[in-house]
Amino acid sequence: MAEVEETLKRIQAHKGVIGTIVVNAEGIPIRTTLDNSTTVQYAGLLHQLTMKARSTVRDIDPQNDLTFLRIRSKKHEIMVAPGNL
Amino acid sequence: GYYKAAQPEKSAVVIRVKVCLKTQDHFYYCYLNIQVFDEQGKDVTPRPLYHPEPSASLHRQSKILSTQDFSGATGSDFLSSLSMHQTSGVNASLVGPFSRTYGSSSISKSTSTTESMADEIVEPGSRRDTAISLSDVQVRRDEIKEQLTKEDIDKRVDIYLTETETIWLLDMPTVMMSVESEDAEKVQERNKDYIELCKNRVGNDRFVERMMQTLNGAPKNKEVQCEKILMEDKGIMATSWDLYDSFNALETTLTSSVTERSSRPTSLSSSKSNVTKDQSITSSSIIDLESVILARIHEEEEDHSEAILKSEKFQQDLFFMERVLMENVFQPKLAAYRQLPVLIEEEEEEEEEEEEQKETVVSSSILLDLSEAPEEILPPSLERLWSYTCEWTNGHNVSSMAWNKLNPDLLAVGYGQFGFQEQKKGLACCWSLKNPMWPERIYQCDHGVTALDFSLANPNLLAVGMYSGTVAIYNVQTHNTTALLDSSESFDKHIGPVWQLKWIEQDRGTTGDDKGEILISISADGRITKWLIRKGLSCTDLMKLKRTASERKKLTGEKEKKSEALISRQAPGMCFDFHPRNTNIYLAGTEEGHIHKCSCSYNEQFLETYRAHKVGKIK
Repeated sequence: MAEVEETLKRIQAHKGVIGTIVVNAEGIPIRTTLDNSTTVQYAGLLHQLTMKARSTVRDIDPQNDLTFLRIRSKKHEIMVAPGNL
Repeated sequence: GYYKAAQPEKSAVVIRVKVCLKTQDHFYYCYLNIQVFDEQGKDVTPRPLYHPEPSASLHRQSKILSTQDFSGATGSDFLSSLSMHQTSGVNASLVGPFSRTYGSSSISKSTSTTESMADEIVEPGSRRDTAISLSDVQVRRDEIKEQLTKEDIDKRVDIYLTETETIWLLDMPTVMMSVESEDAEKVQERNKDYIELCKNRVGNDRFVERMMQTLNGAPKNKEVQCEKILMEDKGIMATSWDLYDSFNALETTLTSSVTERSSRPTSLSSSKSNVTKDQSITSSSIIDLESVILARIHEEEEDHSEAILKSEKFQQDLFFMERVLMENVFQPKLAAYRQLPVLIEEEEEEEEEEEEQKETVVSSSILLDLSEAPEEILPPSLERLWSYTCEWTNGHNVSSMAWNKLNPDLLAVGYGQFGFQEQKKGLACCWSLKNPMWPERIYQCDHGVTALDFSLANPNLLAVGMYSGTVAIYNVQTHNTTALLDSSESFDKHIGPVWQLKWIEQDRGTTGDDKGEILISISADGRITKWLIRKGLSCTDLMKLKRTASERKKLTGEKEKKSEALISRQAPGMCFDFHPRNTNIYLAGTEEGHIHKCSCSYNEQFLETYRAHKVGKIK
């Protein structure tokens, strides 16, 4: 548990990281460093996108699974590490 | 006698039903006089004049239908119409007794009719009987019925159903006549008359069309209302992975839940624990375990979120995330290290050696290899790619480094002070190329780390030698930060700091053991020891480095101090190395400055001694 907290803190404190959100299976955020409205927006949108991406990967090969998702835009980069389910 | 319609003095309702039946070419007329009532409702049915005996009437039951009756002088329309169609007009005879009409009906059937006539004539008396006896018969029938019901209820009654004979209600066969006969003209006239009649029929007042309608029952509307049928739309997306999952879920439902439960507590209990924080962490892990179990029972979202944060998968995900972040930041440098094309710019390096040495660590052991090539363009220089540093390592002195044999991205660094006075707690960290900001493993040791080596046969084993002389072996695969093996309690442990550790592969063909790897250490107490990993760390000495007498001038400080000789006769060994091909031979350097060539088979003697350096530590 401590290690998890440590790692999370390190990531949050990393140079260039704007914010981090931890989201549960239904897409509801449980930990965040951003403000509420932004968190909710990001959580909702990214949850859907991750589901879709995972669905795509698994449709091609059911034994495969999504491990990481990166969205690079002009201004930022969003990185999603999908959990179980 | 004949029944005659009584001419009632008062008005009376006479109900007469005339039925014309034909059975087997016989015409029968019969009347069924039911009842006659007068105004007051008195029954004034004419009573029969003759009462036959009951036995005789029974006989006639079957002929009820065939009862005949005579019409009086009642020329009904029916009869008259019938007569009109008869070819042989015998109108006059119709009025009379009806048996006579038969004779004129058909020529071909004259014989039969005469028979019937005979029948009729024969039974005049009986006719009366039958006619009269109708009412009586009916009465008797009731009586008979009553008797049956009383006596034979249980008796099995057989009912035979037969098809009745065809009842012809009207049959008028055509009669043909030759044109040459006598009556032909009359018949032709009649035919013409008939045709004209048919023509005149339409629109004639004499003919009236009449329609009958059957009575329809009055319809009734009935309404029924049922409960509202609720409709719900449900959509589901069938994907191939969904099918795959549900198929697999059937196989692994029970087993997975069991293993998950068992693995969860183990993962929680194996959390990192420092020496000082051991107990607190184990207690907290128990609490965590309980809370995780509670989460499973209650299944509330809050508990779930805690479970998520504690889950191993989350940790792994965080791990990946961190790695990815590092990759983002350090990508150019890492690419340069790997000599991959860099995203932004391309940096070319001239010499490979320099790249290998480009990692630097905070303090002392920076490897600089500036070669001075007389080139005008750019002198080859080292470029610092990154440095492995974190808060733990701040202020520590790097004492040794070792690359992992299997995974060249892994570097083990030992931190420890060289001087006796500066001793503090040491550290051994495993750094990965992929994360220059945080070591993969941090092993905290009681004493300063002086030597490190990764095993070749088991690349996950890291041997650490410490200033105290302790040799510890760590398994870097697990996150466990306690040493796998520790020599601090063995009898033959080193007393002096371990200056070098090495894993050597040795042939042990003679002893019968397989070719194995052994750990050899050399320390300041003058012993070269071979460590064996059997039940714990046990060691045997390979060699004891004795102080050798130097042929040349002896330095006063070295040997002749009796105190020193008393303390130890052994020269502190600094380093050693094995022969690359013959693993029996090895060289050992001592503090004195001698290099001894030794063999594993000989414990006592050196094979050779090379005197090179005067004083000093050799590495």
